[in-house]
Amino acid sequence: MAAKREPRIGLFLCHCGKNIAGGLDLEALAESSKGLAGIAYVTTHKFCCSEGGQAEIAGAIRGQNLDRVIVAACEPSLHLLTFQRCGEEAGIEPQFADLVDIRKWTMPGSPQKVDPGLALEESRKTVELAVKRMRLKRPVPLVTVKAEQAALVIGGGIAGLEAALDLADKGYQVHVVERQPTIGGKMALLYKVYPTNDCAPCILAPKTAYANIHPKIELLTNAEVRSVKGHVGGFRVEIVQSPRYVDTDTCTGCGDCVAACPRRVRDDVYAAGLGPRKAVFIPYDQAIPRKAVIDAANCLYFRNGTCRLCEKACLAGAIDFNQQPRTIGLSVGAIIVATGFEEYVPSAKTEYGFGRFGNVVTQFQLARLLDIDGPTKGRLLRPTDGREPRTIVMIQCVGSRDETAHPYCSGICCMYALKHAQIIREMVLPETEIHICYIDMRTPGKGFEEYYRRTRDMGILFIHGKPSEVAERPETKSLVVKVEDMDIGRPLELEADLVVLSCASVPPAGSEELSRILGIERDDSGFFKELHPKLRPVETRVRGVYLCGAAQGPKDIPASILQARAAASFADGELRRGTIRLPASMVKAEEIEKGGA
Amino acid sequence: MEDVYVEEFTSPGCVGCPAVKAMLEELSREFDGRVIVEEINIAEDASRAASYGIMTVPAVAVNGNLLFTGVPSRQDLRNAILEEMKED
Repeated sequence: MAAKREPRIGLFLCHCGKNIAGGLDLEALAESSKGLAGIAYVTTHKFCCSEGGQAEIAGAIRGQNLDRVIVAACEPSLHLLTFQRCGEEAGIEPQFADLVDIRKWTMPGSPQKVDPGLALEESRKTVELAVKRMRLKRPVPLVTVKAEQAALVIGGGIAGLEAALDLADKGYQVHVVERQPTIGGKMALLYKVYPTNDCAPCILAPKTAYANIHPKIELLTNAEVRSVKGHVGGFRVEIVQSPRYVDTDTCTGCGDCVAACPRRVRDDVYAAGLGPRKAVFIPYDQAIPRKAVIDAANCLYFRNGTCRLCEKACLAGAIDFNQQPRTIGLSVGAIIVATGFEEYVPSAKTEYGFGRFGNVVTQFQLARLLDIDGPTKGRLLRPTDGREPRTIVMIQCVGSRDETAHPYCSGICCMYALKHAQIIREMVLPETEIHICYIDMRTPGKGFEEYYRRTRDMGILFIHGKPSEVAERPETKSLVVKVEDMDIGRPLELEADLVVLSCASVPPAGSEELSRILGIERDDSGFFKELHPKLRPVETRVRGVYLCGAAQGPKDIPASILQARAAASFADGELRRGTIRLPASMVKAEEIEKGGA
Repeated sequence: MEDVYVEEFTSPGCVGCPAVKAMLEELSREFDGRVIVEEINIAEDASRAASYGIMTVPAVAVNGNLLFTGVPSRQDLRNAILEEMKED
């Protein structure tokens, strides 16, 4: 057999201005790299990624007859594509262009920065390994595979629906998987949305309704993803749909079953734990699909074999106690993760008394109390005695910016506290005194600072300080909030009929399991991790799996919509040609059973 | 005979990774250091994993080809490395 031709590798060492050159002796690195097996050419450049830098790389490929290229510079997620494209222009296949990070040891501010001597040593090791890898690398054959003209969207909130509608309008078949019995997500629970104070269902309903009738969208509610195999263009997805115990084809959504049901339980979703629902229920009036669902854990028939009143009341004969979980297999080309967030449960912050004191509620609970379709039909009443509160204290950053809970800023809580203060002042209880206790008011966003000013102008009182404790007066169930006003340097005790906690946004339950199923990462806070926080905020490390909305990190509705459209655009970009070129190894890998982490 | 370059993809908390690591260390000893093993923590170097389309760890690439996802048998891993060695 003929001996394999020795590859001719070009090594390009980047100064990155002074980011690398300022932290190690690049000339020494170049000198020591020249003797490595396979190296045919070594040079340095001030900015390899610049037009001039790329021109020099392309020129060297042609002039020095190079067939492989390594750039030692920054993180591959930043510029690997740049150098792969540059190499391709000059005739080198993308798989034979590599980028290795030596900047992490030199750049001011990098957590891995070390002294110049050690930086040189570490860089030598990195370059040596990269050269060895590149020299021994065999060409990976590429194969063409069919790109399924279909997508899976996980999560039927505003972000997921926006992405689904975008792709469906472009002609793709879209399957939306939603864990709850209705689509709409958190936005359906908000009553109004800032900064326009539009009615949330009024601007959400057109989207949910369109998604419901769109010929290219299949809504799978009460369903969860169980497994995903395959690759971009050809993911095989297994979904399990839990039984509703109501046949959705025959159910008319009339509500006769709900009226007949004798079993009343606390509604933790649509009434946020502040009101009841029945064991058979329609989540809310504008729910899509507007079909009943039986909560088997509370249904008397499932608990002790009696009742069946709903069955007798249903003239359509839609009740079906024998429904079983259904497994659904799908083939899709791309997956969009839009699983959203949950409100932090503040019981762990015992100093604020949530769960112990009946008149301490969260902002999401307040939203339900203000909603005309909520448990109090829009009347703001104290949970303990149904009396209208004359004084309200809102506490910001509960569980957010808090080393004992979640260190990050949730970004949306300042604005929704302002929104609720405005709604109460303008529409609900104009005479009620409202205090907002804050560490910092954070209102970046178009029109948001003006919104904050307007709230101040309405006479809402702002106290610069985070309360240390909430105490209850047992006889009245009213509350006393202890806070030090940092602007005047004085401790205050605020009387409050109602205390509202602005809680952190946290990743929803099941995120860890989903990250395992999809093979994507989560960040330190538990939200799904993007490929690069600045330049690639929608992609994940699995090609063909994209993120949008609060699944990637706390964000508001406009930002979620923006990212949803971006995710749809990425999916379209991968699938639109109908075929995808992939390394043969990647296609083969799907056949191998997984047995990993 | 050529050297063989093995990329071992791992992540913190990966159940199968230590087994693969032990096998590769053993094979590296058996072939007298001619098997060069690089361990890549996918949490730190996501783009390398992405370039192979890796959805799960452990995963093993040999001379630039992703050959195993999950824990391979020692025999399969050894055969794959031998195959690469005798290629030229």
